[in-house]
Amino acid sequence: MHSDRAPLGLKIAAFAGLAFLHLPILLIFAYAFTTEERTYQWPLPGLTLKWFAVTWNRPDVWQALGLSVRVAAISTILALILGTLCAAAVSRARFFGREAVSLLVILPIALPGIITGIALRSAFNIADIPFSTLTIVLGHATFCIVVVYNNAVARFRRLSRSMLEASADLGANGFQTFRHIVLPNIGTSLLAGGMLAFALSFDEVIVTTFTAGQQQTLPIWMLEELVRPRQRPVTNVVAMVVVLVTFLPILGAYYLTRGGSETAGGGK
Amino acid sequence: MTDAVAFDHVSRHFGSIRAVDDVSISIAEGSFFAMLGPSGSGKTTCLRLISGFERPTSGRVLIFGEDSGAVPPNRRPVNTVFQDYALFPHLDVRDNVAYGLMVRGEEKARRHAAAEEMLSLVKLDAFGDRKPGQLSGGQRQRVALARALVNRPKVLLLDEPLGALDLKLREAMQDELKALQRSLGITFVFVTHDQGEALSMADRVAVFNEGRIVQVGTPEEIYQRPRTRFVADFVGSANVLSPDICVRAGAGSGWASLRAEAVRLVPPGEGVVQGTVASRRYLGAVSRVHVDIGDAVIAADLAAGTPLPEPGATVGLTWDATALHRMEEA
Repeated sequence: MHSDRAPLGLKIAAFAGLAFLHLPILLIFAYAFTTEERTYQWPLPGLTLKWFAVTWNRPDVWQALGLSVRVAAISTILALILGTLCAAAVSRARFFGREAVSLLVILPIALPGIITGIALRSAFNIADIPFSTLTIVLGHATFCIVVVYNNAVARFRRLSRSMLEASADLGANGFQTFRHIVLPNIGTSLLAGGMLAFALSFDEVIVTTFTAGQQQTLPIWMLEELVRPRQRPVTNVVAMVVVLVTFLPILGAYYLTRGGSETAGGGK
Repeated sequence: MTDAVAFDHVSRHFGSIRAVDDVSISIAEGSFFAMLGPSGSGKTTCLRLISGFERPTSGRVLIFGEDSGAVPPNRRPVNTVFQDYALFPHLDVRDNVAYGLMVRGEEKARRHAAAEEMLSLVKLDAFGDRKPGQLSGGQRQRVALARALVNRPKVLLLDEPLGALDLKLREAMQDELKALQRSLGITFVFVTHDQGEALSMADRVAVFNEGRIVQVGTPEEIYQRPRTRFVADFVGSANVLSPDICVRAGAGSGWASLRAEAVRLVPPGEGVVQGTVASRRYLGAVSRVHVDIGDAVIAADLAAGTPLPEPGATVGLTWDATALHRMEEA
C-alpha cells in the first residue's frame, strides 16, 4: 500500500541534513554564554550573561555596527534608485544594446567577490580615490543593484503597456503615472529587493576587505577579533546580532515575494 | 461646423513599413465613426494618432480644428477604451473610474460622486468597492467605458471594444454603446475588424486596407455600393464579378459586385448565366446556395420556403440589371 508519509530512513536523512546545516549556528549562539574567554571549550565550563554587558560597553563594536548599518543603508538606497531605473529601461524601452545591458547588470553577482574587489581596488587606486565609506558603498552597490534589478524587472514585465497608456490617456503626467500606477504595482518587489540588498551588504566580507581603508564593518571586525585571544565570546554576541539583522529582512523578502504570482494588469 | 477629428494627408511610417499612408478623413462632431479593416491595415495606428500615442510622420491631425501635433496624450480632449480594458488592478472600481479626475486634482468626495454617477450610467451601481479582478469581462468593459467618460472627453476612442466579449454580450453591448453615444452626444470613433459591428453601429464607416482608406461612407453605401473588390470582399456576402462574367451576362466590361440576395434561381437554360449547384447552406431566414458557373462561384441567398435545388443540379441564374453595381477600381 502506498502512503503519503515519507519512509523513516528518508526522514532521518532529512533531519540529519538540516541538523548539519544549522547546529553549528546554535553552537555559535551557545558560546556567547560561556564563562571561558580564551578558548572555545565544549562542553561549556559555565553560563554567564556578562558578555552582553561587555559587548555593550565596547566602542569598537558600536563603531563597526554603525559603519555597517550606514553602508548597507546607503548601498540599498542607491541600488533601489539605479536598479529600478535600469529595470524600467530594460523592460519598457527598446534600445541598442538592451540585451547586453541586462546581462552586464547581473554579472557582478556571478563574478567572484574577490575579482570585483581587486578590480575596484585597482580602479580606485588609478583614479586616486581615497578609501572611505564611499568606496565601501560603491563596492556593495555593485551586487545590491543586481538584487533590486532582478526583483523589479520581473514585476515590470508583468505591468502591461496599455495600463501605462491608459493612465496617460486619462490625463496623468509621467510622474503621476509612476506614483499612482507603477509604484503600487512594483512596490512589494522593491521592498523585497531592498531587504535582500540590505542583508547582503550587511554581512559582506570579501569586496569590503578590498574597498575599505582603515575602517571596519561588522563582519571585518569579527574576522579580526577571532584571531585575538581576548574576550572571545564578544564576537559570538555580535554574531547573534548579525544573524538576527540579516535573517529578518530575508524572511520579510521571502514573504513579500511569495504571494507575487498574481499578475498585474494581465486581467482578462 | 468644425470636424471633431480631421486627418490632413497623414502618414505614419515605421521604418520602411507604411502603417498609415496619406490618409485624409473628417469625422463630424457627434457622429459614431467606425474604422474597419483587417489586422495590420492601419486602423489602430489611426486611433493612436488621435489619442497621441503615435505622431504622424507627415501631415496633420486636427482635433476640433486645432493641430494636435505636439500635444501629449495627457493633454488631449480625447479618452480611450483600450482593447484589453487596461484597468488598474490595485485600485477598486470606483477609484479606477475616478482616476482621470484624481490626476486633475479633483477632491475625493467630488470625484467619487462623479465616479458613482458614471457607474450608474453603465449600470454598475453596486460595484464600486470591487477590484477589477472580481468582475466579468462584460463588467470590466463597462468600467473601462465609465473611466474613459468621466473626464467628459470631446471624442471617445474605442479600440476593438467588443472583441473580447462573447457573441450574445457583444450584441447587447452594441445596442448599449449606440444608445449611450446618442444620449451623450459625444463623438465616438471605434476600430473594428468585424464588418457586422461596423455596419450596425456606425453612422459612417471608413474601410482601411494596407494603410490607406479605400472607401468612406454610410453603412448603406459601403454595403450596397462597394467601391473596390477589396471592400466587396471584406464587407462580405457580395459576389464579385470579373469583367469576363460581366461581358457574358451582357452587362458591359469591368468589375462589378452583386449582392447574394439579389440573385434568383431559374430553370436551366433560362436566366443570365448557367451553372451547377456546388453546395447549399441553411442560415435560418435565408439559405445560401453556391452555384459553380465554370470560372467562378456565385452565391445566391434564397428566402426561407423557396424550394432548394439538390447539389449537382443544373440551374440558371438571373438578377435585375440594377442590382449589379459597377466598381470603380479592380
